Amino acid sequence: MAEHVTLTINEKEVSVPARTLLVDAARLAGVEIPVFCSHPKLDPVGCCRMCLVEVDGPRGTAMMASCTMPVGDGMVVRTDTEQVRKVQEANLGFILLNHPLDCPICDKGGECPLQDQTMRFGQGISQLIEPKRLAKKHYDISDTIVLDQERCVLCWRCIRYLEEWEDKPQLGLFERGNDTIVDIQEGRPVDAKTSGNIIDLCPVGALTNRVSRFAYRPWEIERTPSICMHCSVGCNVRLDSRTHQLRRIVGRENMQVNDQWICDKGRFAHGWVNDEKRLAAPLLRKNGKLTQVQWSEALAYIAGKAAGIKEKYGADAIGAIGSGKISNEGNYALQRFMRGVIGTNNIDHRDGGDVAALPTGLPALAELMKPQYGPDPQVDTVLLFGVDPSEELPVLDLHLKRAILRGGVKLIIAHARKIELTRYEGPYLAYKPGEETQLIDSLTQAVQGTAETEGDSAARAAAGLLSESEKALIIYGPMAARGEGGPVVRLGLEQLAQAAGEGTRVAYVGLDGNAQGCRDMGVLPDRLPGQFPLDDAEAKARLERLWGCTLSGSPGYTYKQMLDSQEMRALFVNGANPAAESPDWAASLDDLDLLVVTDLLPTETAEKADVVLPAQGWAESDGTYTNLERRVQRAPKAVADPKSRAAPDWMIFTHLARQMGAAWPFTDVRSVTEEMTWAVPAYAGLNWEALGDQGRQWAAEAAPAPESTGRAAAGVPAGASEEADYPLSLVTGTVLYDSGTLFGLTEQMHGMAHGATVTLNPADAATFGVEAGSPVTVQSDQGQLEVTAAVDAQVQQGTAWIPESLPGAPVGALLNGSYTQRVRVERR
Amino acid sequence: MITEQMRQEIDEILARYPAGRERSGILPALYVIQREHGYCPVDAQDELAEILGIAPAEVGAVVGFYNMLHEEPKGEYHIEVCTNVPCMLRGGNRCLHNFETTLGIHHGERTEDGQFALDHMECLGSCGTAPMAIVTDQKSGQIRYFENLKSAADVEKAVDVLKSGNGFSSLERWTPEADPDNKGAADGPYLTGGMEPRYLMDRLNKPDSHKIATYEADGGYATARRTLEEIEPADMVDQIKESGIRGRGGAGFPTGVKWGFLPPETRPRYMVVNADESEPGTFKDRIIMEYDPHQLIEGIILSCHAIESEKAFIYIRGEYYFAYMRLEEALAEAAARGYVGENIFGSGKNLDIVLHRGAGAYECGEETAQLTSLEGYRGEPRLKPPFPAVEGLYAKPTIVNNVESICNVTHVMRHGVDWYKAYGTERSPGMRIFCLSGNVKRPGLYELPHATPLSELVNRYGGGPEDENHPIKAIVPGGLSMKLLTPDQFDTPLDYESVAEAGSLLGSAGVIAIDDRTSMVEVARRTLSFYREESCGKCTPCREGTAWLEKILLRIEEGQGLGKDLELMEYIADNIAGKSFCPFGEASVWGLQSNLLKFRGEFATQIESTNPDEIGPVLPIRPDYRPNTHEESGLRDSTFAPVGGNIVLHDDLVPGDD
Repeated sequence: MAEHVTLTINEKEVSVPARTLLVDAARLAGVEIPVFCSHPKLDPVGCCRMCLVEVDGPRGTAMMASCTMPVGDGMVVRTDTEQVRKVQEANLGFILLNHPLDCPICDKGGECPLQDQTMRFGQGISQLIEPKRLAKKHYDISDTIVLDQERCVLCWRCIRYLEEWEDKPQLGLFERGNDTIVDIQEGRPVDAKTSGNIIDLCPVGALTNRVSRFAYRPWEIERTPSICMHCSVGCNVRLDSRTHQLRRIVGRENMQVNDQWICDKGRFAHGWVNDEKRLAAPLLRKNGKLTQVQWSEALAYIAGKAAGIKEKYGADAIGAIGSGKISNEGNYALQRFMRGVIGTNNIDHRDGGDVAALPTGLPALAELMKPQYGPDPQVDTVLLFGVDPSEELPVLDLHLKRAILRGGVKLIIAHARKIELTRYEGPYLAYKPGEETQLIDSLTQAVQGTAETEGDSAARAAAGLLSESEKALIIYGPMAARGEGGPVVRLGLEQLAQAAGEGTRVAYVGLDGNAQGCRDMGVLPDRLPGQFPLDDAEAKARLERLWGCTLSGSPGYTYKQMLDSQEMRALFVNGANPAAESPDWAASLDDLDLLVVTDLLPTETAEKADVVLPAQGWAESDGTYTNLERRVQRAPKAVADPKSRAAPDWMIFTHLARQMGAAWPFTDVRSVTEEMTWAVPAYAGLNWEALGDQGRQWAAEAAPAPESTGRAAAGVPAGASEEADYPLSLVTGTVLYDSGTLFGLTEQMHGMAHGATVTLNPADAATFGVEAGSPVTVQSDQGQLEVTAAVDAQVQQGTAWIPESLPGAPVGALLNGSYTQRVRVERR
Repeated sequence: MITEQMRQEIDEILARYPAGRERSGILPALYVIQREHGYCPVDAQDELAEILGIAPAEVGAVVGFYNMLHEEPKGEYHIEVCTNVPCMLRGGNRCLHNFETTLGIHHGERTEDGQFALDHMECLGSCGTAPMAIVTDQKSGQIRYFENLKSAADVEKAVDVLKSGNGFSSLERWTPEADPDNKGAADGPYLTGGMEPRYLMDRLNKPDSHKIATYEADGGYATARRTLEEIEPADMVDQIKESGIRGRGGAGFPTGVKWGFLPPETRPRYMVVNADESEPGTFKDRIIMEYDPHQLIEGIILSCHAIESEKAFIYIRGEYYFAYMRLEEALAEAAARGYVGENIFGSGKNLDIVLHRGAGAYECGEETAQLTSLEGYRGEPRLKPPFPAVEGLYAKPTIVNNVESICNVTHVMRHGVDWYKAYGTERSPGMRIFCLSGNVKRPGLYELPHATPLSELVNRYGGGPEDENHPIKAIVPGGLSMKLLTPDQFDTPLDYESVAEAGSLLGSAGVIAIDDRTSMVEVARRTLSFYREESCGKCTPCREGTAWLEKILLRIEEGQGLGKDLELMEYIADNIAGKSFCPFGEASVWGLQSNLLKFRGEFATQIESTNPDEIGPVLPIRPDYRPNTHEESGLRDSTFAPVGGNIVLHDDLVPGDD
């Protein structure tokens, strides 16, 4: 229990925890003290001098800065006297002295603390009759942020955010005295992945959003509390819209999830929502051409065709691919359609059945946020295995950095690439794709002390940290647990946790925005909603009762199997684009009797479809999403395009089910959400109203245990001859700024996109006679890719790094559906 | 670009600082870069950031803060003329004008051949030998003081010496009278005097006074040797407390009491010697470091013994290059004799002394700002508490003491507490070096006991008014920040209590005499120009208020003053003093406040005589409402470069040059 002290603020006694700052104590007492520099999430600096109040001290009454002064027992504070008022007035006069007062053209106008405080505490006039100081206006400090130095009041919030949270001091004060300005180093734009938060923090219009510039006036927008779907952290955001268009996204506080921070992709990359390329009407292939048709025609066509195929080839000739990018409701309706209407378990999603996941995700994000905020941390050591939060989960990256810097959390990193977080002290364990299990085994042995891990000091250090730790958390991602080797990796990590002792936990995190929800909804070939095995009698009975049908007990095909198999006759693809992933898959999609693609935008897969159905995105229809710590959160409808005939996924499949003779009871999305809470026991009670605007976590105890897989064959080791031909091991993975459609349609961010490059270690580059910028061909025995070479020591020797979804360079051409490949790189 | 050779030099510099604190070496490392390139190019800044493991913006921010680090090339010889009040009173503006005429360029410019660049500069610690300029030799990074540049001929002579290549034949200060043959010959220490015998300034004029041999011959280091052997640290702290030495930097805080604040357990402890003498009107520490550096080093050894510190830093202002060289030499001598380093005087104790050059920032004289600067950041002040004695340099207990304070320690330990207390008063014991400048006949340094009457200092030692026909009308008793005293207060004894009673403060004992030829409006304007220039920019009132006051004063000087300006200035000053982050706020307006109070008539007359109809300034239509964002901001040097407006700046008008 924190000690409390009692003080008097404006003749009123208040008791607050010791060491509380006066400004916060006043807030607790319901007294507002105006501030600019002070911010509850940033360290006090005391530079704006707006918060001066009268404090009685041993040497009489003094004006003290309440944002830097901790409370003291018996302190007497007054914030409402004539003197305080006059000082506030004078200080605002100073702050506004050289302010350009260009509020009419300032994006901040209408929601500007400087405006508000001027109205409440200001003088109303300026006594300056000399010319104002000039500085740089509207110049870009990055592709997404515009700085206006004349509006800046030098509160240091942006500087402190980048320093204290991002640990990337890319903004600083330059010059001195009256000429002091906030600026970047020449030629070094801000590139921190969550830099946009400084726009939210700025108390004036100095930092504005370049993507949303001049696109809104604060008093004209509708604000919808929502969540971000770019990754599985599930940051809380607010969608600001006007005239059916999404104008801006800002962060929304949720102390269980994202604090109040969001990443730049989540904030800025929303150009796709209102893009004119959006699918707006159903398309049916007629005479080889996709032709716009009515919904009724499209649905009748699909129903007739699907029924025919089912009759001719059986239900298991039909499959469906769901998506971690679409809502629980959409995924639930899709799998109910497949299981209840078609009658097959051929339902999966990318990173679904092919990945050896664990059912419950992270214990809680708050456990990683806790160390930075206070006592009783639940995690003291984090092992990241095959996850790169900086690129994949940027706000988790932020939490981790803060936990390391402020909470003393120790970090161990095992990754095929020397990821950005390796800049923190802690062992880095390198491996090549396919060698995960060897690394885990040696680590486990080192922890158990059964083997000498001579020579590898990093492994020794990691083992030491794990053994010492009392509350370690091992986090692994899909990259480390795909394919046949996946279950071995999962088992290995569980054994490692066991060896490290009680208190060590293993968590799997998916990457897509609704990766967890997708699993929870049973978009898996071997799992029913609630992640129950197909043969779980109770779950089966419950669903059969609920759906009024009989469920197939035979496991379906996984994502990869459906695409590899030659037996599939019909495929429903929702929010996925397998054609871009593998040339073989692209070819086999052509052979299907029926390909139905439901998506937001045209894709390579949609081009091959017989029917393309336009879906509504997360901003356009109500839906729930489950983040990586099992928090079910609402994303209400925020915008609607009156010209579009797109429909939400659940509605499409409800109509399709009706066309095929099933009578589903769904009248609106709430009724789908409601049924989910019955179908998935862990979601019991989590209906729309109960979720509120901060979401609710489902209890981890409600999850069935993961199947325990025996030790199966490890990843296919490369043969010696192969090694000579293909000397490099291909490393791939997700980067934040790829060329995926959800990012690429925000044109302001084009400069930030990862180039079409293969990155090599300097030593390898020298061996193959390649320099940064050389045009090269990357060749595997599956295919080849023409890209530009880059050289970086962060890429380990013997590997070649090509991220997924690069512009014009699908790494799938090399992988062709496999998970590991060896490649060679040659100059073109 | 940082070459291999530069890299080696930088690595050596960084190695002087504790492991993991290499960032502290950022200023000396930037000096290396500047010496090679003539300025600090952005790519070299970025490379340095890489070496230090910090972000490029952090280096850029530091370069922008310090006056002596340049973002664009200066000349082969960079001439900076002091125009601050003490120099102004003795013709600093005319001196600048003479340089402009001689070189054929305006200040802020560079000669076509790139040989000379000319700038104005704030107080350079040469107030007794005004007017003066410093010259930086870009190729070597050396700086030399050129003093007593009274006439155009003196300035021409100085430029000739530089042109002939003899400008840096010595680093000791140059005066026209000491260099008849234009060979760049050195002049010795400037005028010192006072009581007999003197202690702090006893040795300055002896031949080779800066050498360890002469210092030891005069009994130097015996006190340190004896004290380390015989006196326990705690006892020594008690003795210093007993002696009542008060800080000579400005605040006058009792040195021994400060030492007593150190938390007993935490180690390491650091000693930081504040040699960033920058208060206009103060030039005492400079001469000690130049001509008697061992006196300071012995003081450091003694002080570190008392506070049980094994690492001391001397933070010396960047312009004091000669003093820096002398200290470096002296430290090497002391190290050679085993007086600093390991096992000093065979006592088993260690003491490492790091000499650290600042880079031109008045604010770094404030102790917390100095520590921030020493850690390698912009010299911005920190929150107190924690006080440095508890959490200072690198968040460790740190004592920051002024050079003269430390020298006093040497003499207290040598002669005893009772001897010391026999001088001065009960609460202001000991002797003091008074820095006398401005309109007196013999400006210089005078060592006198505390409580010597101001009039005695000015008349008996200083020789009275510079011109008998022009009596002194105001005196600043303790450095430019302090409030003015008027003739009725000239008998005030110069001790802390009496000066405070007279409504001012003794401060750094920089006594500036102002005679009736000088406009008090000009004094006020020049004072505010200084504070506007030197404000660190951290907090609102000081950053905005000082510049606003300067603008108003400039306007009054130019004949566009309004009657209400006086109240407005008082209003602004009231809202800076006591409202800012650090004491700089008070310091910046005390002078103006007392000036407005005591010489209000002069301001009123100036306004009434130049602007009888109270016509306000013509506001220019914003010349460039949206400046081209791709161009560099033109807002750097300021007083002399018009800031956006078309008002005629005072500085282009030189007295007698209508």
